[in-house]
Amino acid sequence: MLEIGSLVDGKYRILREIGHGGMSIVYMAINEKVNKTWAIKEVRRDGVIDYEAVKQGLIVETDLLKKLKHAHLPSIVDVIENEDTFLIVMDYIEGNSLEKTLLEYGAQSQENVLDWAKQLCDVLGYLHSRTPAIIYRDLKPANIMLKPDGNIMVIDFGTAREYKEKNLADTTCLGTVGYAAPEQFGGKGQTDGRTDIYCLGATLYHLVTGLNPSEPPYEIKPIREVNPMLMEGLEKIIQKCTQRNPEQRYQSCAEMLYDLENIKQDNTFMKKQKIKMGTFIATAACSLLLCVSGISLNVMASQMAADHYENFINDAGKQPDYNEKISLYKQAVAVPNKAGEKEAYIGLIQCYRDNNNEHVFTIDEQAELTRLIKNNKENLMSNPQNYAEVCFETGKLIWYYYSYGNSQDNQITRMITAVDWFEDAYRNCNDNFAYKNMAEVYRDIGMFYRDININTVEASDKGIYKPFFENLKELLERVGSDEAESDMVRLELYEICRSALQQYATKFRGEDISQNELIVMHNQITTYVEKMYKALPDSKKTDIGSQGKDVQLLVSTYDLLPSTLESIQLAYSSQKEI
Amino acid sequence: MNYLVQACTDIGIAKRTNQDSFMAKVINTSSGRMMIAVMCDGMGGLEKGEVASATLVSAFNRWIEEVLVKMNTESLHENFIRQEWTNLILENNEKIKIYGKKCGVSLGTTVTAILLTDTLYYVVNVGDTRVYELSRQGQRIITKDHTVVHKEVEQGLITEEQAHMDPRRSVLLQCVGASEKVYPDFFFGVPIQNAVYMLCTDGFRHEILPEEIYHYLQPDNMINQEVMKNNILTLIELDKQRNERDNISVITVRTY
Repeated sequence: MLEIGSLVDGKYRILREIGHGGMSIVYMAINEKVNKTWAIKEVRRDGVIDYEAVKQGLIVETDLLKKLKHAHLPSIVDVIENEDTFLIVMDYIEGNSLEKTLLEYGAQSQENVLDWAKQLCDVLGYLHSRTPAIIYRDLKPANIMLKPDGNIMVIDFGTAREYKEKNLADTTCLGTVGYAAPEQFGGKGQTDGRTDIYCLGATLYHLVTGLNPSEPPYEIKPIREVNPMLMEGLEKIIQKCTQRNPEQRYQSCAEMLYDLENIKQDNTFMKKQKIKMGTFIATAACSLLLCVSGISLNVMASQMAADHYENFINDAGKQPDYNEKISLYKQAVAVPNKAGEKEAYIGLIQCYRDNNNEHVFTIDEQAELTRLIKNNKENLMSNPQNYAEVCFETGKLIWYYYSYGNSQDNQITRMITAVDWFEDAYRNCNDNFAYKNMAEVYRDIGMFYRDININTVEASDKGIYKPFFENLKELLERVGSDEAESDMVRLELYEICRSALQQYATKFRGEDISQNELIVMHNQITTYVEKMYKALPDSKKTDIGSQGKDVQLLVSTYDLLPSTLESIQLAYSSQKEI
Repeated sequence: MNYLVQACTDIGIAKRTNQDSFMAKVINTSSGRMMIAVMCDGMGGLEKGEVASATLVSAFNRWIEEVLVKMNTESLHENFIRQEWTNLILENNEKIKIYGKKCGVSLGTTVTAILLTDTLYYVVNVGDTRVYELSRQGQRIITKDHTVVHKEVEQGLITEEQAHMDPRRSVLLQCVGASEKVYPDFFFGVPIQNAVYMLCTDGFRHEILPEEIYHYLQPDNMINQEVMKNNILTLIELDKQRNERDNISVITVRTY
């Protein structure tokens, strides 16, 4: 692995890692003399089984790629061969992959997709017209970068070929092969330019519908069945690209580009435009007149929307039935121009939390809520405070209530799942946000658990326990004593702190946290837990198995307190550091 | 119900590692004896597939120890199993994905599990490992393969025969660890006394005909563990002679 900060080949300073693939790592580097940034892809001997063969392949391919020049392809400027590594220096591309864009914002607008489709046709057509023709074979949103200027770049060139053909002979899973065309499987079929056209069609389908064709129902439906607002012309193009038989697809990118360019005439859109133009002047006069009344109508409409929204929220608040309540909140989100308001989301979150007192936020509910927030992210972001608050509450819901499994490490899974929500909350709120600091604490604890296994394996866990302990302390102080929090939340928190004390006592000692500090925390937890335990009627303390989740948790935490104390004492009893 | 269990695995003629993992257990509960078997066919780059399959088998084993043997089995029902096993599978899907990302490889596994009780069988399936039920009335496959070709047979695009020859026959729609999301299938039914429940990886059934499976593994030819073992090994040998290149694994459970 290249060291961050090191100088490669006397000119490229390695700045940071930006990507990680099957057999390569990509770094961002800077040529200090000319102050230009580059991406450096490193293929290491120890990352691949048959290094020599891979290297030979890379030499051939990079030679080929060096000759390519196209606005939507990063150019390769340098190839550096060492004994153990093979480095490819190429254009550094700013921006995000379309995969990430899809993940964050869901389906993309038809206009953008059309624009990208033309650019992709252009670049694939360029590749296919080389002699010999170059087939890309692995087009998917993850391999397309969206630059800040709105244009796209096709990346991760070259390695795709070997990587894929090696794998496909064996059992494989659609998840790993993207949208491979039928003829790409089994290594027997002939792949040519039409294979890329299939992948392009599948990519466009994913982008414009938000549905991944390699997930259930594993099919490419006519796009207007997914969203009736989409153009018929685009539907036809995507259908034609994704025919099983290559003969029935577009036979070249040029052919497809022609249809893309002429899609509007297809849709009788242009004709309508002309008619509209004719009536424009007449309408303009009228509109001037109507403008005045229009404004007042607009005001009325938005007032009505506001009233609708209020009504839904109020009704939902009063509605005792869970399903009705959820449905009312969803309708509130759907009121025009109101998707950016936070009340409906917060109401939903509360509803999921209090559902029948089961204290369970199910996987389906999580998917539902995530989808709702993601689809309306843009609206919510018009006031980042709203978005931050919704993220923070969602994070808490997952952290404390998510039912992800009943095995021991469920708690940890929940914390890890919540990390991203807290991160989003933290990033988007301003300093006045009451829970900014809490979001940070939750995020850091979650990240601790996410990374701890890897860190211990790589023995790079030094120095991480102290901040972790400080975070626990802070959380315990802020939330633990807050009687306004529900019992379940407080209990979960006590259990997180307790199990950390038991599990990491020796590690805490190793980072100079005094025994006294641990004991103080233990006492704090004991006080809270005992108080709750005493308040529990005796009838509930027997036959624990049939009690609710909260009672079970309370009793198990209570029972484990003495052994936790022993673990602390044990950790500090030996002379030497363990 | 009583159970005779026999299981065999073979690395096959071509692979350097055996990436299949499985387990089978008979447990005594308040509501009679139960039998649980899990079969996983791992796949992955840099020969890490066995990590994925073993992860899932251990997870099921842990679930048996921590949940099944401790619970009141009288209250066992379809929804409970559905929820527990879905959670278990989704959780491990995330774990294996994270592991794969850290190692820079993509790995995954199929999973097929069956829990046999006196009153019901519970089956979960992701991928193309299968459960067969062989009784005196004949045989049927309980699970439904999550493969591209099976999907196309269902859609009427190709026939069963074409599917068998299709170069894509080993391409899964989903598997644990390599799919963004996993949607396990569940099957419930009444178990037959004096039947054989057989779990196998795809390596066992591509080259062996259904009639051959029935001939060797039908209940009347599976009368004790010794015979069961011989019958399975005969089929595995036959399979290898016909040039099957995959790992081969089979679990058989004879009820009586």
